[in-house]
Amino acid sequence: MSASTTSHRLYKALFITLLLGFALVYLGPLYVMLTTSFKGIEEIRNGNILALPDTLDTSAWSKAWTSACTGGDCYGLAPYFWNSIRIVLPAVFISTVIGALNGYVLSQWRFKGSNFIFGALLFGCFIPFQVILLPMAMLLAWLGLANTVSGLVLVHVIYGVAFTTLFFRNYYVGIPSELVRAARLDGAGFFATFRHVFLPLSTPIIVVSIIWQFTQIWNDFLFGVVYSGPGTQPITVALNNLVNTTMGGKEYNVDMAAAVIAALPTLVVYLVAGKYFVRGLTAGAVKG
Amino acid sequence: MFDYLEKQLPKLIMAPTVIVMLVCMYGFIGWTAVLSFTKSRMLPQWEYVGWAQYERLFANPRWHVALDNLLVFTLLFIIISLLLGLMLAILLDRNIRNDGALRTIYLYPMAVSFIVTGTAWKWILNPGLGIEKMVRDLGFTDFEFRWLVDPDMSIYTIVIAAVWQSSGFVMAMFLAGLRGVDDSLIKAAQMDGASTLRTYWHVILPVMRPVFFGAVVILSHIAIKSFDLVQSLTGGGPGYSSDLPATFMYTHAFSRAQMGLGAASAMVMLAGVMAIIVPYLYSELRAKKS
Amino acid sequence: MGSIKIQQLTKSFGDIEVLKGIDLDIKDGEFLILVGPSGCGKSTLMNSIAGLEDVSSGDILIDGNNVTDLSPKERDIAMVFQSYALYPTMTVSRNISFGLEMRKVPKAEIEKTVADVSQLLQIEHLLDRKPSALSGGQRQRVAMGRALARNPRVFLFDEPLSNLDAKLRVEMRTEIKKLHKRLGTTIVYVTHDQVEAMTLADRIAVMKDGQVQQLGTPYEIYNNPSNRFVADFMGSPPMNFIECVVLDDKLVIESQGEKFELHVPNGKSLQQAGVDTVILGIRPEMITEPKPHVAGALVHSIPMQVDVTEPMGPDTIAFGQWNGTEIQARLSPEAGVDAQEKGRIKVQVDTSKVVLFDAFSGARLDA
Repeated sequence: MSASTTSHRLYKALFITLLLGFALVYLGPLYVMLTTSFKGIEEIRNGNILALPDTLDTSAWSKAWTSACTGGDCYGLAPYFWNSIRIVLPAVFISTVIGALNGYVLSQWRFKGSNFIFGALLFGCFIPFQVILLPMAMLLAWLGLANTVSGLVLVHVIYGVAFTTLFFRNYYVGIPSELVRAARLDGAGFFATFRHVFLPLSTPIIVVSIIWQFTQIWNDFLFGVVYSGPGTQPITVALNNLVNTTMGGKEYNVDMAAAVIAALPTLVVYLVAGKYFVRGLTAGAVKG
Repeated sequence: MFDYLEKQLPKLIMAPTVIVMLVCMYGFIGWTAVLSFTKSRMLPQWEYVGWAQYERLFANPRWHVALDNLLVFTLLFIIISLLLGLMLAILLDRNIRNDGALRTIYLYPMAVSFIVTGTAWKWILNPGLGIEKMVRDLGFTDFEFRWLVDPDMSIYTIVIAAVWQSSGFVMAMFLAGLRGVDDSLIKAAQMDGASTLRTYWHVILPVMRPVFFGAVVILSHIAIKSFDLVQSLTGGGPGYSSDLPATFMYTHAFSRAQMGLGAASAMVMLAGVMAIIVPYLYSELRAKKS
Repeated sequence: MGSIKIQQLTKSFGDIEVLKGIDLDIKDGEFLILVGPSGCGKSTLMNSIAGLEDVSSGDILIDGNNVTDLSPKERDIAMVFQSYALYPTMTVSRNISFGLEMRKVPKAEIEKTVADVSQLLQIEHLLDRKPSALSGGQRQRVAMGRALARNPRVFLFDEPLSNLDAKLRVEMRTEIKKLHKRLGTTIVYVTHDQVEAMTLADRIAVMKDGQVQQLGTPYEIYNNPSNRFVADFMGSPPMNFIECVVLDDKLVIESQGEKFELHVPNGKSLQQAGVDTVILGIRPEMITEPKPHVAGALVHSIPMQVDVTEPMGPDTIAFGQWNGTEIQARLSPEAGVDAQEKGRIKVQVDTSKVVLFDAFSGARLDA
């Protein structure tokens, strides 16, 4: 009896050690980013990436925000942070609204081709965007939206609607059909039923959709780098430019501060609403 | 009259999305496909050249490097992520206290952009100031870790960063799957006298097959699309030793004014994705029907 | 005011024909029950009347107006659903008034209606609650309140009691009957429970496979079923069906090796028609322990082996076998105990109300 409990305890200790060890590894890069950002250049060159900073030097942060060079301009990340905000907010809102209405239709109405449309949308979530990169550039140019924030909003809405539609459709399918019938008998039409029956029940999936879209769009780089121009770039593009611009020696502390700044919004969203995020990942990705 | 409109409303609502999808997904794919059969360089030139671009593509040594890298990267990325994710999920499933906190820690890398990941790991793997220096300071003065600037090893740095970013997701999938295993199955196994190890091997893992497949599909999808990480971690270098099809496409279509070639490479990427996704979706839909 | 005429209604879902030509005349103020096994089409018929389903062909007229192409909103019909279908995010009060809201009824009138209805159904104290805070019985009342508030021409009830426990079901049954008496509005009611059908209906439409098998009062349906299916479906415990050889104008019962002759009404016409075998339909309450004050040509005494008895309280069901078929008899509790002990009993068989069916088609022979 005691033999098995000892080995049981040993195993448990081993497991916990493993888990904690990996936790440290996963946290590692974040730790390194933070500590490096508070160090001075000399300290970085002479010291060790795992060492804590001697003093909390915030100069790298202000430089990253206001004066670091991202390619030709040296305005720091601030303007590009706001670009990302101007792209993300409308795109998330519009794609969520459209996705909700689409999901409502696809879940409640069976007309010719509705299954086909669902399948086509599902498939569309998987295509590598390289295949639409060139023609989309042509389209944006034709619309006069090349290198603009609005152009990027449009692109993100177009390719985000497939995901949001899927989220809402899968969720709305679970709403009992008798509820819809009762509303019909009560005299509610298409929009009235949506507004009074579906919308009040939609809070969980709206949150999932918003968090997913916010994360995807904020973190996007491909569309950002192809469809933006100087001045309209999102923060991911600016960050990449900043890190790869070597004017007079690399400033690792500024690079790291900039990386943290770029990561902050989605990290905060994750920490605050993480479980909805996970639900969004598994619901959107696995269920399809 | 209003009644008729009301009846058509569902279709009307979906119409914009359907049209946009037809144009911006399938129409564009067609456009790119057509482009890949033309002579286009900096601007589209509608002169049909048959498979010439594809021939150029597969005669291009850089493309071969990209394809080899994709194979290596995808295999390592998937296998390591699966093993790591599975192990962590199994460990977490044993009712450890504070598993919520641990799960949050394993998953947070997914919340962050690949650019941030690349930037961070670029610093950590910095030859001279990163891990190499840290280990040397510990006393191992001959330690070398210059993968980032080593053409033969640069692709493996991408594996490391990608695994760090995505294995938490695999863990979450497996954990959900493990937690979904019927308790009575496990109890039956225990009654039959199976040890923990055997229970896992014979009872639990087989039930997890769909989760495995789901994870493999998603991971390979991430792998094929990998662009952001390469750009920020290695820039495709040194030289083009860590190029992947996605970066190849971008460079040739946009920087090198080789639209036709870029289009051809994009079509090959699409074919690769379809080869995995189509059978998977087909089998999923079949399963749902039955 | 609320009469419904259904003419030649058919409804198909793709290749599957669910309603195969329904003709039904429902009188104004009538309580009509659609009853039948799962899949018989009763819910589809009800949804078609409500306008929730389009019909494939045929017409529906309410008060002489053809409503077949009208939307549910325009038909002035209210429905109580099996799962109640209460709006989960709205209060009871709003649930009741929602239909009136959609019809742009003035606020003052809505308030009065909600007050009246909730008082009638005794749910005034629940008006501010949400459905999740209500018990099953309370939800049922709110669902009824929602229908009542609309003051429609016709009420449709779709198995409203099937989600309630047995005791509550009996209570609500009585409430619904009282409501009907008070309001006088036409009610079309769907159930699979034939006891409910018998107790509530003015008339019953028994359905099977998308067709109305018989339309009649509970008495008619019970005592004069038009075919074997109706006879078997209505009545609990169910009617006994015994295949009997016809001898002259009598039927032969074989019990434990011995043969007995049964006189039946219409025996002579059977003989004249030259029928060899018939299915004898006789209800368990017509096979009882001997009752000394009952006598007559149609009263017989036949022994029965007793395999098992089921005490029900007021009487006991005894299971036996005649002509190789299992039969059920209704005995008094004392006779039942006796029968269980002895394993056999001599039962009194009253054939005054038997029905006869063709041995092959199941059609009524003596109607």
